[in-house]
Amino acid sequence: MANQINPGLISQFAIARTTRRRFLGGSAAAAAALALAACGSSSTPSPSSSSAPPPDDGKAASGNLRISNWPLYMADGFVAAFQKASGLTVDYKEDFNDNEEWFAKNKDPLSRKQDIGADLVVPTQFMALRVKGLGWLNEISDTRVPNKKNLRPDLLNDPGDPGRKYTAPYMTGMVGLAYNKAATKRPITKIDDLWDPAFKGKVSLFSDMQDGLGMIMQSQGNSVADPTMDGVQKAVDLVKEQKDKGQIRRFTGNDYADDLAAGNIVVAQAYSGDVVQLQADNPDLEFIIPESGGDWFIDTQAIPYTTQNQHAAEAWIDYVYDRANYAKLIAFTQYVPVLSDMTDELNKIDPKLGANPLINPSDADKAKLHTWASLTDEQTQQFNTAYASVTGS
Amino acid sequence: MAGGASSNRQRSKIAPYLMILPALAYLAIFFVVPFWSLFRTSLSSSGGSVYLPTLTFAWDFGNYAQALTAYQDQIVRSLTYAFAATVISLLISYPLAYAIAFKSGRYKNLLLGLVILPFFVTFLVRTLAWKTILADDGVVVHTLGSIGLLPSDGRLLSTSWAVIGGLVYNSMTFMILPLYVSLEKIDPRLLEASKDLYSTGYRAFRRIILPLSIPGVLAGSLLVFIPAMGDFINADYLGSTQTTMIGNVIQKQFLVVKDYPGAAALSFLLVAMILVGVLSYTRALGTEDLV
Repeated sequence: MANQINPGLISQFAIARTTRRRFLGGSAAAAAALALAACGSSSTPSPSSSSAPPPDDGKAASGNLRISNWPLYMADGFVAAFQKASGLTVDYKEDFNDNEEWFAKNKDPLSRKQDIGADLVVPTQFMALRVKGLGWLNEISDTRVPNKKNLRPDLLNDPGDPGRKYTAPYMTGMVGLAYNKAATKRPITKIDDLWDPAFKGKVSLFSDMQDGLGMIMQSQGNSVADPTMDGVQKAVDLVKEQKDKGQIRRFTGNDYADDLAAGNIVVAQAYSGDVVQLQADNPDLEFIIPESGGDWFIDTQAIPYTTQNQHAAEAWIDYVYDRANYAKLIAFTQYVPVLSDMTDELNKIDPKLGANPLINPSDADKAKLHTWASLTDEQTQQFNTAYASVTGS
Repeated sequence: MAGGASSNRQRSKIAPYLMILPALAYLAIFFVVPFWSLFRTSLSSSGGSVYLPTLTFAWDFGNYAQALTAYQDQIVRSLTYAFAATVISLLISYPLAYAIAFKSGRYKNLLLGLVILPFFVTFLVRTLAWKTILADDGVVVHTLGSIGLLPSDGRLLSTSWAVIGGLVYNSMTFMILPLYVSLEKIDPRLLEASKDLYSTGYRAFRRIILPLSIPGVLAGSLLVFIPAMGDFINADYLGSTQTTMIGNVIQKQFLVVKDYPGAAALSFLLVAMILVGVLSYTRALGTEDLV
């Protein structure tokens, strides 16, 4: 009996280590407290136009660089190698847990142009663009980041930030479905499979609006590249119907991985890299992009206008954008590279990496993946409110 | 001489005030000010930009009406869960506290230590451990299923019972300790006297022990009920989409939807409900002496 409990317990915590967007209640509580405190201030400074970086004196970066990134989004030894190569010291923190939570915590200091304790942050693109829209990002110097030439052309020309002046992609990943084929006893291919009565109470959806609703909207014939309130509402209604039936067990952040591995969930909305990492322990897990389509997420490196070491942040981005360096990151995170022509460098680390369809997706898969349009503030608020009425009640 | 005595007397008059000053200052800064600010927010209307809204104080009671109608399910559920957790906690803790106070002999300190021991591990980890214990493929579910106590597709995790169980587990120490303190204070000679007067054990319990332990029951119930009402961790980790409590809603409203007035109104409703509950409870038990 004890033997049955222990591996579960161990794997639960082992898995907790591998998940990236894990939503920690403790930090949420702290954020709630901060949000409470924030409510006291009602001043609204008008957003300045996007900030210009400090003038470039041409000297190499020096001093200290503070990075705030998602948990387990960094290869072992990478930071040390960067310090050695650049002569900078890096204060690397894995304290970025949730986009909206990060925003709730930092918007007041940012609006007052007060230091937020980080010179470089890695929000998801929609959040980076929101912060950029508020005028809180510095431009990233092209001359300081010569390796930007290695960026995938499709990312460079993203309509959200043409030319990638403010947001430097860090990782891209697929939002799709993960399932335990031993438990489902059949392949999962489409969104309708989520609503199979056989999986009642064994399905989890993302609580994040874009990641949660994107594939459902696409299954209803709506587009995430041109989303409308009607399309969002239709998807929300379907989720509500299934939730009321008891089909949906939980709305999750990255913590779906725990439940999937423990067998509490058999089909989950999932991020590709997580599943590659989980497959190492559980070969029964599969990741698929639903027939009607899934979506991309892009996490981006951005320099807040309160940065205290712009050049060091740029030196970091340049170092990350070196293909050999970047291959080490991919070998750890198992997400889809943001740099082009990575196969050779990946195969140098492990010949299986370059051939992994979740790291190097096929053209057929790519055709099924779409990127959310960059939403207006009002759209984000409306869509979030609509989805939260189901996920938060 | 006379002058010295009066200044002494003056000093002794000021002394108590000086002594409560740090606590008062603490309360003023960390309770009264945020509370007032939250109250104003709950009656404000928000406008301007989406992400940096301007909150204007407007006596907007609509926030309360809206919160009540939109989330009455969660409000009722929170009340039910907190009430159930308090009752279950009391039923389990009372015999335990009684045994520790009267029957444990030289093991008393050891047993008290064991009661506090789980607190050495953080709240979050303890709750996550329950997730593993109650897992669908776990040994508990299998055992209960095989002896027919759970239907074959039944589960424990992500049910109301798991949430209530988590609330009970995480708060039981707060029930046991006040109960123990009030039971331990009871003079054993009272029980001896009752025996001398031919009282039965049950009668002695009902007429002596129970009334004298009421302050402990009251304090313990409050310490369990109040945090349970606002809890969102247990519902988040051990519950499902059908078990959200008012704490989850408030969290979501503050952090995701960013409807600060609505969230503040919900928070105030929560405070009001707790206050009403506590006041009627203390009235009913009729005690002013908490421990």
